[in-house]
Amino acid sequence: MHRGAPRLSATAGTVPAVSLRRVTKRFPETRLDDEVVAVDELDLDVTDGEFFALLGPSGCGKTTTLRMVAGFEFPTEGSVHIHGTEMGRRPPDRRPVNTVFQSYALFPHMTVAENVAFGLRMRDVARDEARRRVAEAIELVQLRGRDGAMPGDLSGGQQQRVALARALVNRPKVLLLDEPLGALDLRLREAMQVELKQLQALLGITFVHVTHDQEEALAMSDRLAVMDAGRLVQVGTPAEVYERPRTRFVAEFLGDANLLTAEAVDAERVRLPDGTVVRIASGRSAGAAVHLSLRPEQLDLVAAGTPVEPHLDAVEGTVARIGYFGSAIEYDVALDTGGPEVLVTARLGNARGVVARTVGERVRMRWTPDSVTVLED
Amino acid sequence: MVGVAPAPAPARRRGPRPPAPPGPEREAARAAARRGALIGLPPLVTMVLLFAVPLGIVAVYSVATRGRTGRTELADWNLDAYARLLEPLVLEIAGRSLGYAALTTLLCLAIGYPFAYWLTTRRPGVRAVLLVLVMLPFWSNFLVRTYAWRVLLGSDGPIVTALAAVGLGEVRLLFTPFAVVLGLVYGYLPFMVLPLYSSLERLDLRLVEAARDLGATGWEAFRRVTWPLSRPGVVAGSVLVFIPSFGAYVTPELLGGSRTTLVGSFVVRQFLSARDWPFGSALSMAILVVMLAATVAYFRAQERRS
Repeated sequence: MHRGAPRLSATAGTVPAVSLRRVTKRFPETRLDDEVVAVDELDLDVTDGEFFALLGPSGCGKTTTLRMVAGFEFPTEGSVHIHGTEMGRRPPDRRPVNTVFQSYALFPHMTVAENVAFGLRMRDVARDEARRRVAEAIELVQLRGRDGAMPGDLSGGQQQRVALARALVNRPKVLLLDEPLGALDLRLREAMQVELKQLQALLGITFVHVTHDQEEALAMSDRLAVMDAGRLVQVGTPAEVYERPRTRFVAEFLGDANLLTAEAVDAERVRLPDGTVVRIASGRSAGAAVHLSLRPEQLDLVAAGTPVEPHLDAVEGTVARIGYFGSAIEYDVALDTGGPEVLVTARLGNARGVVARTVGERVRMRWTPDSVTVLED
Repeated sequence: MVGVAPAPAPARRRGPRPPAPPGPEREAARAAARRGALIGLPPLVTMVLLFAVPLGIVAVYSVATRGRTGRTELADWNLDAYARLLEPLVLEIAGRSLGYAALTTLLCLAIGYPFAYWLTTRRPGVRAVLLVLVMLPFWSNFLVRTYAWRVLLGSDGPIVTALAAVGLGEVRLLFTPFAVVLGLVYGYLPFMVLPLYSSLERLDLRLVEAARDLGATGWEAFRRVTWPLSRPGVVAGSVLVFIPSFGAYVTPELLGGSRTTLVGSFVVRQFLSARDWPFGSALSMAILVVMLAATVAYFRAQERRS
């Protein structure tokens, strides 16, 4: 295509790379005459070229969702579209996607180069072109010189790279990654997170990444979906989902959250368990119980009695516990409820000048009203 | 006089060599070796007494002389019995035995592979029951089971009667090559199924999914992933079926006719009817060597391929 011609991809870009419409997957439970619903009426669009993470605890249906995109499972109801084409019951070998498996699933009886070349051989790519593309892919994942090695002789990180090269060499429209970093140790995992992200940006291929690791999902994805019990709970950018969790589940699953039950005073204010009235962003009708989420790192701790500036809200309490994490210190503060104990955790960066508190000390916690998120449940 | 070597040894020792394990570890290794020898002793004695010694006796008899009355004389050591191994009759029987064993192995593989694969796809409880069923025939006597086939295949047995009833006429089944191969396949199928099952069960099904994901059709995925990875089971199963099929005695004797004499029966005949112990012994030794060589060659070939 020459310059100046209308870009086809401009219109193609509006078609989602992956699109799930009311997808339900039920597995037969043979013991009882019952069925297990793994995925429940899922509607999801993955934009072309984005790094999309499917996040959720084990058993939430995220892997089943991925497997339905790959073609290893077919939806019981609903439809899967890839770049606008309905997949129906099309088998995996006739879908424009490739998968990086959780434990890599490298062919143990083939060398690195043979593993990488497998997809090209299956698609009858000419020998010279195949050789060139295999070399490129091996170069891309920085495994040059290991072409002849057997998978069993490679480290976990290297096997991971082979799996990546084996999938990418086919130039899939969508790359599906099923917990690809799960088997690596922490340090390697962090390095691979950066590398995968760079690779995705370089190639511009849509990545759909399944993980149960919230940090991984937040750090890598352009957008993420949180799943629970077969349903989609929230979809958005990492900042949207982390800072404005829709439900209690999302607030708790992504990072740490102080979950408080308060009572609506009017549309903009709620009464906390200790009686303090504070502001919230979005309103509720008076008298109703409201669930709030407050991220520990958005709370500040000052000495009791410090004047509260008008743009802040604050409560007072007593330091009940201190957790020292090196780079951060967490203070669990008991509010003056007079009844059952309510603890609110504040996480302070261990920066120079931060005043250390002691257990039993009276403190004032303060925050900006937009740090308070009202949850739906 | 013994010449004194110029002792180049110290110079050689400078090359890389594994560091000697420290004292206590070496002691522990020695103790483990002692324990190992102690545990290994009873089976070693058993093998020597029940296997090596009889084999030695057969080897000795094979170079002895047959007396005029059929008595074997342990004198005049010669290789005459071995020379007779190349007689046309011997070659014919050996060729037939090889053919039957090869056919039995192929049939067992053709039946056993799909069955073993199907087994691995069952739920664990069902699998355990089916595996017990595979081994169930071993709980009754092989001879009895072979006699049962005689009844089943006999001229007034249920199979022949049924075939006649549907208008296929008078079919003779018993004492035919068909009956022999049927009996051999029946008898040795479990030896094929069990190693196949154990190697297929270990196969990671995600590898098949990976192949499909990379564009392989079901057949291609089988050909390039499942089959090569189950080859150890195929090799083990084939060897376990081929060897006893080749030397089978009971099955061809009870289900076959005079035209289906196999080496097992032929050897027995040398000892019992012909009273030619040296020839029988030489035959046994030849079978042993051929089988051993074939097995080693087969394993080597498979190793090279994978």
